[in-house]
Amino acid sequence: MGNLRSVEKALEHVGARAAIGADPDEVRAADGLILPGVGAFPRAMERIRATGLDELIAERAAAGTPILGICLGLQLLFDRSEELGGADGLGLLPGPVTMLDAPGLKVPNIGWAPVRWERESRLVEGIPSETPFYLVHSFVARPAAEDALGTAEYGERFVCAAERDNVFGVQFHPEKSSAAGLRLLANFSGICAKAPAAA
Amino acid sequence: MILYPAIDIRGGKAVRLTEGDFGRETAYHDDPVDAALRFAEAGVKIIHVVDLDGARKGSPVNVKTIRRIADAVPFPIEVGGGLRDAENIADLLRAGAERVVIGTAAMRDPKFLAEMLKLHPERVVVSVDARGGKISLAGWSEPTDVDVTDAIADLTARGVERFLFTPIEVDGTLAGPGFEQLESVAAATSASVIYSGGVGTLEDLRRLRAEAAPNVEGVIVGRALYEERFTVDEALAALA
Repeated sequence: MGNLRSVEKALEHVGARAAIGADPDEVRAADGLILPGVGAFPRAMERIRATGLDELIAERAAAGTPILGICLGLQLLFDRSEELGGADGLGLLPGPVTMLDAPGLKVPNIGWAPVRWERESRLVEGIPSETPFYLVHSFVARPAAEDALGTAEYGERFVCAAERDNVFGVQFHPEKSSAAGLRLLANFSGICAKAPAAA
Repeated sequence: MILYPAIDIRGGKAVRLTEGDFGRETAYHDDPVDAALRFAEAGVKIIHVVDLDGARKGSPVNVKTIRRIADAVPFPIEVGGGLRDAENIADLLRAGAERVVIGTAAMRDPKFLAEMLKLHPERVVVSVDARGGKISLAGWSEPTDVDVTDAIADLTARGVERFLFTPIEVDGTLAGPGFEQLESVAAATSASVIYSGGVGTLEDLRRLRAEAAPNVEGVIVGRALYEERFTVDEALAALA
């Protein structure tokens, strides 16, 4: 689910040129970065640190390059997660990542959920509020109120899309969310095209 | 109600069988990936993929094709056909299937079913095929005298959360769903039911949406879409 290839294919589908990799020169040359990701938070951060990708992402974020985290990729953008004993994240968005608070409901939460936009954003332009997106997750990010872009309901009302300046994250899988998901990726691609040229 | 466009794969191609008969098939698209991508712009939420060679053999055959579909399409895919062991199921989930459909094995091997339900919560669909209200196994080739409603009630008690029900008589015929069979099956369980078989018109879909029990969450449509009896957009609107 939400593997690299399907994100790449979805980007190609909306006319973006996508490359998979962690090569510093390639990353620096990119108009935008996407952090996909499935699996567990601590191990993902371990690998990101081992390859020096954490510093590279921080550098690009500071340079104004648009960054989009998807699913676990969104969670990695935050300060820390309590998953599997806990680990620090990239810290590009303030707030923790904690377990879904859905008493009596099954976790992981798998399925389509209508997403309500909490404010306007270039990322979700042309996508009506309450459009369903596809989610597969047990944890959720708890951002600052002003960074909450979209929310959905599963036992609780939780943030499933966040935005602060040039840093974006979605808990749902746009690459598996049909026409609306493709529109979101096309919007992100548009944001990247307008962003300051890569250094 | 959720639309599940169907893609049946045989020998790497997208085909449809009539009444599950391997001798009566029609190829609609050379490449199943092309067939799947046709649904991408329409707002489809999931597709149902059947490995027909796998169903016949009793283990998956078209895994590479399924992986290509999973990579290519912007929605989840549900996959069935010959899934009878844990390793094959893990392989398909790794290949990008969101849900796997287990039929014969779920019926024959309660221990296996329990293990799969535990290992892959929310990802297992149990397929129940019936002819004349009696369960049919092994890619429909093996009739039994087990009542479909009894089987459904028993499987529900064992923790099955989602069924796929197909009345074999109507499958691939475009002659309309088996409404009565569906009604008794839906009444026999509290789990979700996906219906498959016989959908030929938009009216069939409207009637399913209006009349089917609340736990009938979706309907599989195959041949009617391939033969362009109606479009995916029209089907989505009829079910909305």
